[in-house]
Amino acid sequence: MAPDSLSLDRILNEITTTNNHRRSCPSPLASGQDPLSVLDMRQNTLGVLYIMSARLNTTNAPVAPQAVVTFCQSFLTEQARLAPERVTMLARGIMRLAQQHNNMSWAVAPLYNLLRRYPPDLSYLTSFHHIFLQVCLITNQPAAALPILSVPIANISTALSDLSYNDNLMYHYLGGVVLAVLKKWAEAEEYFEICVTAPGAVPAALQLEALKKLRLVQLISRGEVLPLPKYAHAALSRILKNSIYTDLINAYPQNTERLHALLEKEKQTFSSERNLGLVTQAIDRAPRWTLKKLTSTYVTLGLGDIARVVGIQSEDEVRALILSMIETGDISAQISASGTVTFSDPPPQFTKEEVDHVLHSAQAQSALLESLDLEMSRSKEFISKALKTQDSSWAPNPEEELYAMSSAWNDDSMYS
Amino acid sequence: MDVDIPEETGQSSTRQTRKAQLVPVDDLHPFDLDSYIANYTGRTAVDRLIHIISTCHQLAPEAFQLAVQQIHQSRDPSLYQQVMSAYETVSGLSETPLPSGMDLAQLDTRWADETMAKNQAERSKLEVELKTYSNNMIKESIRMGHRDLGDFYRSVGEYPTALKHYTKSREFCTTSQHVLEMCLSVLELLIEQRNFPHLPTYVFKADAALDAASAAAANAKEGDGPAAPTPLLNKRKAVSEDRERVQSKLDFATALSNLASGNYQKAAYTFLKLGPAKDFGDWMGKLIAPGDIAIYGVLCALATLPRSALKTQILENSVFGVYVEQEPYVRELVEAYLSSNFKTVLELLNRYSSRHALDIYLAPHVTELTNMIRNWAVVLYFQPFASIKLDRMSGAFGWTVDQVEEQVVSLIQSGAIHGRVDSQNKILYAKQTDHRAELFARAIKAARDIQSTNRKVLLRMRLQQADLTVKAPKGYNSSIADLLQGD
Repeated sequence: MAPDSLSLDRILNEITTTNNHRRSCPSPLASGQDPLSVLDMRQNTLGVLYIMSARLNTTNAPVAPQAVVTFCQSFLTEQARLAPERVTMLARGIMRLAQQHNNMSWAVAPLYNLLRRYPPDLSYLTSFHHIFLQVCLITNQPAAALPILSVPIANISTALSDLSYNDNLMYHYLGGVVLAVLKKWAEAEEYFEICVTAPGAVPAALQLEALKKLRLVQLISRGEVLPLPKYAHAALSRILKNSIYTDLINAYPQNTERLHALLEKEKQTFSSERNLGLVTQAIDRAPRWTLKKLTSTYVTLGLGDIARVVGIQSEDEVRALILSMIETGDISAQISASGTVTFSDPPPQFTKEEVDHVLHSAQAQSALLESLDLEMSRSKEFISKALKTQDSSWAPNPEEELYAMSSAWNDDSMYS
Repeated sequence: MDVDIPEETGQSSTRQTRKAQLVPVDDLHPFDLDSYIANYTGRTAVDRLIHIISTCHQLAPEAFQLAVQQIHQSRDPSLYQQVMSAYETVSGLSETPLPSGMDLAQLDTRWADETMAKNQAERSKLEVELKTYSNNMIKESIRMGHRDLGDFYRSVGEYPTALKHYTKSREFCTTSQHVLEMCLSVLELLIEQRNFPHLPTYVFKADAALDAASAAAANAKEGDGPAAPTPLLNKRKAVSEDRERVQSKLDFATALSNLASGNYQKAAYTFLKLGPAKDFGDWMGKLIAPGDIAIYGVLCALATLPRSALKTQILENSVFGVYVEQEPYVRELVEAYLSSNFKTVLELLNRYSSRHALDIYLAPHVTELTNMIRNWAVVLYFQPFASIKLDRMSGAFGWTVDQVEEQVVSLIQSGAIHGRVDSQNKILYAKQTDHRAELFARAIKAARDIQSTNRKVLLRMRLQQADLTVKAPKGYNSSIADLLQGD
């Protein structure tokens, strides 16, 4: 450690004493060496971070891409966390560098490493999460983001990274887009929903876009829309109500003619809002949902009848549709040679392991909630607020019991 | 003023009925206008005739003549205009030309002028009386003054003014008996005016007054002391009879308001527990006929009540039985329903659909009630079966197989029948569910949902704790915010 820290001191000294006063963007040292090559990427993480992030954000200070890659692989997290805003700068710089070299896909790997190594674990949100997703989308490598997206964000720490509300919105919006590209509808729905329901006094434009996409994703994956959680901003759904998306939702899935007419008429709007792909997919899947509804009403039905109800002209197409639905497990049915479809619905099966797994996760969840509850009732804010509402007569023992009771009741209500 | 208000009410009533389709009356749908209208007297007869004129063009000329006759017995010449306009509307709608209203019956202009003059005179007389009473500050007389004026305005068809005087009289009521009287007058007025949403308020007020009045009466009786035990008993009985009489009227008002608001089940229960016809006093005929009560009660009951309730509430209910006697087909209907003879039920309903559609209170609800009864019937019929051929069902209901299939499919989709249709072999199967597996599926789904919701809510909480909430950008115009909130 000693020689390294010595060298850092020396370099720092040299930097500050040389004539070159471009702060924290040092040019070569007196000895003609590049400070980045002198410093050890691992031991002097903080120093390198400063220099590198500064250089990446100025135009005429080149950084070797290889150095960035190595740094992202080997930096010391403890040191890096001392300068969170520099890490954000570095991430932006990496994107810029990639743009300059016209090679966006290069940025994926260093950003991924940075993202994986910087936060304590992946459930923490950082201010460069969405930069990574953006790069993934631009380079058309959505799959690269999956390891990150598979861990949902559960922790927010402003000490870890200089977050703004936009970072959260952008990350979840882009996450939803990435997952929708990968056709992982359920996950995409979740990401869009988090974006839509982000807390706020006013709705953000991005939230509205997320809501549009959320609705489309729901149509694709469920054939219907679910009500938004109560805590979503009321203005959002009100604005959406006056848009063409509501027409689309109302006509879905039965009214195929209207859907196609809507698509024809509003093609411009859909494509300018970058939703044309989702809309087309949703409309293409409309017959499936109509057909699925039939299975709960009929035991057998002729192909011709199905074609009539679903709104498809040829029986062959219907046959193909049913076959594909059977393959994907959407319905269970048999087509006889005479063109009669027999629907059946096997009761859902569960293995013992599955049940055990669910029970375990439920237990884990309740333990988590309990610890959160305890943490909350210990917190200064809570106690001072509780004191205020419970006004003057503060007698520790009975009151504490009361809190315990009320919190237990809260727990219950969460499960009910 | 004299003319404006009735015209308004007339327009609103025609607007309501114009939506209803024209009702056919022929051999398959019998309806005897003369015997029907003979049950009613006074204003309701005219109102009912107007309704008939505007819904059934076959009966319109006859009804028109009857209405004009009735008007001559009333004190409100302006009714003639309502009748006339209803008649003209319907003759404009019907394909076959109807004889002109003028030829059928003319309003006796001399009578009209006389009545107008008489009304005018009486009004000034009553108003002067009221003024003197007010000057003398005798509460009881003021109350009676208002009441008389209310009665007067009601008889000439000025409902808002009548209502104003009735409600004003309340300020001068000294005993709960008076309050009760006022409430009953208002109820009568509201029913006549077909202003159903306001009924419950006055029923409630009247209930309270009734309680107070009977308590007061009982107290007074206690005061007599035990010295005269026999008359006491008699008197108490008299009081409770009186009470029941009022109670029946109140129940009827409640039932009507339930019916009007589409709350058929409540309406059924209230209609079925109404007291005997004599309790209604002058309301019978002035507002309603016993046969109407039977029809309303039975239709609502068939549409909403389970079979056991039907049996106890209708067939074994001696008080309601009297009403049912008035309309024999109603009893047939109930009996056919209880013996699961649904074909007869539907035939009867169809046969008397005109009778129902021509009823002023029932008309807006006939279609819905009939649909409900039909759906109930199909559900009841299928209940005991695990599978049934659709052509057997079609035999039982008197429909074609396609009709049955359509009906059954719509019921399955609405969730009333748990079953599935074999469209190839025309068989309806009851759905067999593996409850254990379903329970597991539900539990596991609930667990997953709760977990993901928890996670999302916790994240939201963390965001709020870190103050990462969406904020309005600087310079965000508050008018835009208003716009967002407003639209």
